[in-house]
Amino acid sequence: MEAELVEHIARNLVNKPEEVRVSRREGRNTVVIVLHVAPDDMGRVIGKNGRVANAIRSLLRAMSKDRKRIILEID
Amino acid sequence: METIECTGETIEEAIQKGLDELGVTASDVMVTVLEEPSRGLFGLGAREARVRLQLIGARPAPPAPAITEMPSTLVSDDSLTDDDARIGKEVLAELLERMRIEADITVQRTEPSQQGEAAPWLLNVQGRHVSNLIGRRGETLASLQYITRLMTSRRLQRRANIIVDVDGYKSRRSDRLVQLALRMAEQAVKQGRTISLEPMPPNERRIIHLTLRNRPDVTTRSVGEGSSRKVTIVPK
Repeated sequence: MEAELVEHIARNLVNKPEEVRVSRREGRNTVVIVLHVAPDDMGRVIGKNGRVANAIRSLLRAMSKDRKRIILEID
Repeated sequence: METIECTGETIEEAIQKGLDELGVTASDVMVTVLEEPSRGLFGLGAREARVRLQLIGARPAPPAPAITEMPSTLVSDDSLTDDDARIGKEVLAELLERMRIEADITVQRTEPSQQGEAAPWLLNVQGRHVSNLIGRRGETLASLQYITRLMTSRRLQRRANIIVDVDGYKSRRSDRLVQLALRMAEQAVKQGRTISLEPMPPNERRIIHLTLRNRPDVTTRSVGEGSSRKVTIVPK
């Protein structure tokens, strides 16, 4: 469900929603979400000084039920 | 006259920080550059830019007019003719759904601030498990509002005039901050010394600045960087 949220937000912020891909990898203590967008759209999901990415991270943390660390990577 | 000082890596950045904090645009302030940024030698002795912003003219925005008093009218869904309110609510509901948070969103029109600016719409999230959405010092709520505004603005293709609140957190907080500001100002004057408040996010610091801006006996100033930035109240 974390991936679903990230994908939803990303698709609504980029110019090329069809190129948005999100994968999720779960470890023992962490969940890693990898967000891929078109190169031109990187800035839109990262934001000035990482503001957008950090806001997404903060929402992800609020969702974490089992206290796992959620890591959002953007490539 | 309200004055604040800000720092940043460049002069532009420092000015922008100050404008964000005051909630005004460049035409509302007079900027004095106190210190040019310098890179130093091999990173040694690097200095940040420091600027002073002074509000010019009367800005009648009372402290957080949007949410302090909440004399606003509740709007039922079918009468949501305004795009900001309608689309903002839609966007927020979609986000909450994906976060698996069951909640109701009420929409209120806030009081207009005097200067003919349109009053923002207040989207208040209510439900049983919404307290997670506030976070430490309202950080999660700030993120939720930021993302909601961003997505709404994109759909509207202009800036969305909305405020997101959770369980009335901001309006309660805003009332308390006004009280705190007044109390601490009294103390600063009585004791004749500068009083520092706890670190606060920009919107909260703004409430303190605005509450005390017309007082003849104190000035307010924000000091510190990032999440440790706080307001100090200085007796004149």
